Amino acid sequence: MCPKIKFHNIGFTLCLAAFSASTYADEATLNLKLPTTTYTAPSFSSGTQSFMLALNESKNQSEISTPTRTKFESPFFTGSNAHKYLGLGTLALAIATTIAPKPPEIEDRAATPAEIDAQDSSAHAKFGRATAAMAAATVASGLLSHWDDFHIEDGIFDPDNLHALFGTAGALAIMYAISKAPGEGHAGKGMVGGIAMGVAVKLTW
Amino acid sequence: MRNKASIMVILTGAVLINSTYVYAEESFIGWLLDFGRTKEVKPIDNEQYQEECKDCHFAYQPGLLPARSWKKLLNAEALRDHFGDNAEIDVDTLRIIHDYAVVNAADKSYYKRSRKIAVTTPENAAPLRITKLRYIERKHDDIPEKMIKDNKDVKSLSYCDKCHTQAEKGVYDNDTVSIPNYPDWDD
Repeated sequence: MCPKIKFHNIGFTLCLAAFSASTYADEATLNLKLPTTTYTAPSFSSGTQSFMLALNESKNQSEISTPTRTKFESPFFTGSNAHKYLGLGTLALAIATTIAPKPPEIEDRAATPAEIDAQDSSAHAKFGRATAAMAAATVASGLLSHWDDFHIEDGIFDPDNLHALFGTAGALAIMYAISKAPGEGHAGKGMVGGIAMGVAVKLTW
Repeated sequence: MRNKASIMVILTGAVLINSTYVYAEESFIGWLLDFGRTKEVKPIDNEQYQEECKDCHFAYQPGLLPARSWKKLLNAEALRDHFGDNAEIDVDTLRIIHDYAVVNAADKSYYKRSRKIAVTTPENAAPLRITKLRYIERKHDDIPEKMIKDNKDVKSLSYCDKCHTQAEKGVYDNDTVSIPNYPDWDD
C-alpha cells in the first residue's frame, strides 16, 4: 500500500528548502562585521604574478575613446519587465483570492445548481482563476525571457535555478488548487502555491 | 478549518526553524526584510574605494569577484604590478580598499548577480580578471567580436561601462545594455 503523501507536508518541505537554500549559499561567508584592523599583505610567488599579466589589452582605460551617444533610455516593454509584472500581479491576485468573500461551504449535502452558480461566480472563484492564469503566464514569460539565466550545472543553490523551481512549483500548486475547487479542500494547496511563488520572487528580487 | 490550522502549523514551523538562521546571521534577516531590489550587484558606497579605482579605470564593484580574488589583487606586492601597471598606494588606503572589497565580495553578498558569480566560480579558484569568470564569459559568449574587440569604442570586455549604461550603479541587466556603434543589438 502506497503511503499517503499529504500536500501540506510537501509545502512545508518547500518552505524549508527555500529558506535553507538562501542561507546555505552564504553560510560560510556571512560575517559582515567591520573589517579587521590588522592587515597583513599575502606574499606572492613569481608564478602568480605572471598569471596577472595576461590579457591586458590596454594599460589605461582612458585610452579608449568615450563614445558620443545620446542618453540611453531602457525600453519600457521588455520580456524581463513583462515577467516581473506578471509575477507581482500573480501575488497580488493570490492575496485578493484569499481575502475575497466566498459563499458558505456546503459539506453535508450535494450543492444545488443555484449554489454551484453562486460559488462559480463569486469574487473568490474569479480571483482564483485569474491567479492561476497569471501564474501560468508568468512561468511562460520567464522561460522565454530568461531562458539563458538558469543552468542545471550551476546546481540547486544558483538563485535563478531556485527561482525557476519555486516559481514553477508554485504555479502548479495554484493550478492544482483551482482544479480541486469548489468542494474538495483546496485552500492549503493554493496558499502553498502562493507562498512558493512569493519565495521565488524574493530570491531574485 | 482544518486547512487553516494546517497552514498555521506550517508557517509557524517554518518561522521557528528558520529563526535560528536569523539569530545567527544578522544580515540574513536584513536581506529577508529588505524590499529594495538586490538583483544586481551592490553599488559602491565607499568613497575612497571609488576614487582610488576610478583614477585609472572603471571602479569595479567588489561583488564582481570573490573575496579570495580581492585578497590576491589588493596587496602591496600585487599592486606594484597591477595588470602591467604600477598601482601602488599607501598602506592605510590599501587597507581600507582591501577590507571594503573583501567584506563586500561576491561570495559575501546577497545581491543576486554576485551570488551567481559566487556559485559559478570553483571554490579552489581565485580568478583575477572579472572577464575570466565563468559566469561573465557565459553571459557574453554570444556577442560577436566585431562588437567588442573590433569596436573602437569598446575594445575589451574589461570596460563594462562602455556598454552597460548603468554599470556605475551596479546594474548589468540586458535592458540597460547599449553597445556603441551597434545600438540595435538585442540579446
